[in-house]
Amino acid sequence: MTKKIICPRCESEHTDILTQSPVPGVWEVYHCEECFFAWRSTEPDFITDPAKYNPEFKLTREQLDQSGIMPAVPPLAKR
Amino acid sequence: MAYKDLRTHLQTLADQGQLVRVTEAVLPEPDIGAAACAVNKLGEKAPALLFENIKGYTNARIAMNVHGSWCNHAISMDMPRDTPLKEQFLQFVRRYETYPGKVEERATAPWEEVVIEDDINLFDILPLFRLNHGDGGFYIDKAAIVTRDITDWDDPETQNVGMYRLQVKGKNRIGLQPVPAHDIAIHLRKAEELGEDLPIAICIGNDPLISTVAAMPILYNQSEYEMAGALAEEPYPVTTARHTGLQVPWGSEFILEGRILSRVREGEGPFGEFTGHYSGARRMPVVEITKVSHRRNPIYEHLYLGMPWTEIDYLMGINTCAPLQVQLKQAFPEVQAVNALYTHGLVVIVSTKVRFGGFAKGVGMRVLTTPHGLGYAKVVIVVDENIDPFNLPQVMWALSTKFNPQYDLVTVPGLSVLPLDPGSDPAGMTHKLIIDTTTPVAPETHGHYSQELSDPVSTDVWVEKLRQLMPKA
Amino acid sequence: MAYQDLRTYLEALDAEGQLIHITEAVLPEPDISAAACAITKFGDKTPALLFENIKGYTNARIAMNVHGSWCNHALMLGMPKDTPLREQFFEFVRRYQTYPGKVEERDSAPWEEVVIEDDINLFDILPLFRLNHGDAGFYIDKAAIVSRDITDWDNPATQNVGMYRLQVKGKNRIGIQPASAHDIALHLKKAEELGEDLPIAICIGNDPLINTVAAMPILYNQSEYAMAGALAQEAYPVITAKHTGLQVPWGSEIVLEGKILSRVREGEGPFGEFTGHYSGARRMPVIEITKVSHRRNPLYEHLYLGQPWTEVDYFIGINTSAPLHVQLKEAFPEVQAVNAMYTHGLVVIVSTKVRYGGFAKGVGMRVLTTPHGLGYAKVVIVVDETIDPFNLPQVMWALSTKFNPQYDLVTIPGLSILPLDPASDPAGMSPKLIIDATTPQAPEKHGHYSQELRDPVSTEAWVEKLRELMPKA
Repeated sequence: MTKKIICPRCESEHTDILTQSPVPGVWEVYHCEECFFAWRSTEPDFITDPAKYNPEFKLTREQLDQSGIMPAVPPLAKR
Repeated sequence: MAYKDLRTHLQTLADQGQLVRVTEAVLPEPDIGAAACAVNKLGEKAPALLFENIKGYTNARIAMNVHGSWCNHAISMDMPRDTPLKEQFLQFVRRYETYPGKVEERATAPWEEVVIEDDINLFDILPLFRLNHGDGGFYIDKAAIVTRDITDWDDPETQNVGMYRLQVKGKNRIGLQPVPAHDIAIHLRKAEELGEDLPIAICIGNDPLISTVAAMPILYNQSEYEMAGALAEEPYPVTTARHTGLQVPWGSEFILEGRILSRVREGEGPFGEFTGHYSGARRMPVVEITKVSHRRNPIYEHLYLGMPWTEIDYLMGINTCAPLQVQLKQAFPEVQAVNALYTHGLVVIVSTKVRFGGFAKGVGMRVLTTPHGLGYAKVVIVVDENIDPFNLPQVMWALSTKFNPQYDLVTVPGLSVLPLDPGSDPAGMTHKLIIDTTTPVAPETHGHYSQELSDPVSTDVWVEKLRQLMPKA
Repeated sequence: MAYQDLRTYLEALDAEGQLIHITEAVLPEPDISAAACAITKFGDKTPALLFENIKGYTNARIAMNVHGSWCNHALMLGMPKDTPLREQFFEFVRRYQTYPGKVEERDSAPWEEVVIEDDINLFDILPLFRLNHGDAGFYIDKAAIVSRDITDWDNPATQNVGMYRLQVKGKNRIGIQPASAHDIALHLKKAEELGEDLPIAICIGNDPLINTVAAMPILYNQSEYAMAGALAQEAYPVITAKHTGLQVPWGSEIVLEGKILSRVREGEGPFGEFTGHYSGARRMPVIEITKVSHRRNPLYEHLYLGQPWTEVDYFIGINTSAPLHVQLKEAFPEVQAVNAMYTHGLVVIVSTKVRYGGFAKGVGMRVLTTPHGLGYAKVVIVVDETIDPFNLPQVMWALSTKFNPQYDLVTIPGLSILPLDPASDPAGMSPKLIIDATTPQAPEKHGHYSQELRDPVSTEAWVEKLRELMPKA
């Protein structure tokens, strides 16, 4: 990659290009390996730009690690 | 241009496909009541009805359901017939706030064409009929009734135009229900304290706006004619009826003049009322008619009331909302719209911005303390500014997601309500509710509302684009 | 005849003027969701949308708002498009009660035309897009998802078809929200107790009925396909997907097969939900897709959710009401109709005959204890049999005249509710209300209700007469 892509939501650098448009050069889709956010290069800047991303929806990996689990993982059954 | 009499309004309704002429011969009962009840089952765009052949009469005509749909209401306001309800409301409020409008006194009126002063027989003149099976008799229920304070006769502010039910009991004898809270009851009390009769003019078959105003809760010293002028956005024409000296609408079909007999009470009722229930019978005042004037070939107009929704619910819908809206906004500019359409405002839905935590409950309490709310407003639902209170599915959404009974429900015990409320117990007393379905704002913190959905950007652009693409009907 | 796939249904919508083709080139964001939100602003008769030119894709097509109006819902049931809501409800209930319908197993299906097993990239195959701005990513929100109990694999009664939101997180990796109360969560629990993966099939672009059934609260051991057969009134066609051995709709456009990875949880959300609010983020299970099959030139179908009313409200309206209606009638044959359309039944309106004083409150409590009501049903309004619960102005009338909070309001503190209810506090807990707006019956005797207005005799005959006389549009 030529430039680092920052996750607009958790601002992690652990991001990657997930896919590119079937018609070449129209858009790319990125995803964040930390918070699982995904976004497309052609979306409005309030989605793609970490500085403009809606603060109500900012989410860190730490917050995610403390979030609820649904459904709970059950104990393994005794064989 | 507003409609200065019933005839031109009916013509406009006909031109817009909002009038059905019933030419087959019908019996006064049960046909007319049944047909007027039936027309409301055809949906909320129902037309007016004009009965042109009534058995037993030579050339009587009866207009029903003139106000009985939002289309008809829009046309009465000179707006396109499919104008959404909320827009009709906001336009009504805008004109209401230009009060006082102009009033134009005219020297002569069409209703002077035919005059009857001797051997008056109202049953010959008016095609009277029983509306609902339980009614105590033949009622006139859509008349604009004019009185003044006889102790202050020359002060035009005391003149009142109201709509009260009238039971025709004899050839020139009518029972009248003057609700104590209404202006006419004040006039009557002053006259009866002096042992005097109260002059009265009963105007039937009117332009649609004066009926709307006569059924509207405005203030005692406000003039209904000036309000009609404001709503019409042009001078409202009146003529002085010489027999009583009262100002009456220039465009009426019939004018009955007479007097309320001093200190007389006589059995009246029951009558099927706007609550969807009969009123019961009580002893009420009596009117004696001493002069009748009418146009040639007059049109008699009557209002249907039944289990909602029927014409009455359209007639006293927006005109109940508008004064509440203006009065609430005086205290709380945050108020966006008020829907008090349900049973003359027994249920009121207010949409408002919320200034601080608890604010919406304050708006609700204010509704309960308005002049009209004191006697109505049993259930007040407060919703956010982005909810259209006239869009009930949206209101149900607010109730479903913004409401937690632990925090948002207020019951006020033992308040006053109109005795006609069949739920009141004893009659005239009830508990009342405020239901706060607004989103809590600081310092109120319960629930989790920070992430409400909103329309995606460019939704407005797509509304216009899709409007072009919509299949043509 | 029912529609066996999405294509024939879209053709039928097109023929009825209920489909708009959007041929201009659109960006996946924000155009598609903005348009799908915009179409909901045109009322309750809106058409479906078919996007035929999506930037970056060669031949993708996206269908939106397929269920997004009462017209489309009627056509799905094979009824005339202007069928009133109440009639659609009763027809739905009638067919629902013919359960189980027939299921027809077929040998081959159109969706087998194209198969991809290597280097799966869902982004190439599906024109995925972000629906609402706050969504965490690209969701599949209108798939019929099939799973079985792996400990009882050969018992077809354990097979479940449900609709759960899916966040596409990688080329073949999907997050899933299996709500704990739903059948799929039971399957997953059993598989995870054994440390095994759970086979899953995700079916996209379906005939309208299976989606309606997948989003419907039916019982655990009932078959969604047999329910679709009942609603279709003809055998419902399915086929076994060989990779997983799960039965899937014959008519699907796209079938994704794979497995829910055992004991894995990973960040998911937020997603804008049917409550009109976002869900927040939680750790949820993950699916790996191992085989994709689809028709040539497949149609992708998506559901719009926003602030009500939008497609989801039409989609989970009648199918939420019908099971409640049937379950209530088992206990109380007096129940006439149930309207649970508001936010999946957070508000429920029940019309019922009243057997004796207090009966209506019993009906209300029963609503709160139905399987669905336990987690929803925050406000239950009970009205008389004469009230159509789908006619909200009538319901408001009942609330305005039949309701006295002193006698008719029940608040139950601290009940369970779905955590997605933004008003719940803490999430998942809420007091609930029963509002009894029925007429008191003996021995209950407050208020004065003996004289309710009824339609005059011959009203029904006049409805038909006036229908003939109505001006033609």
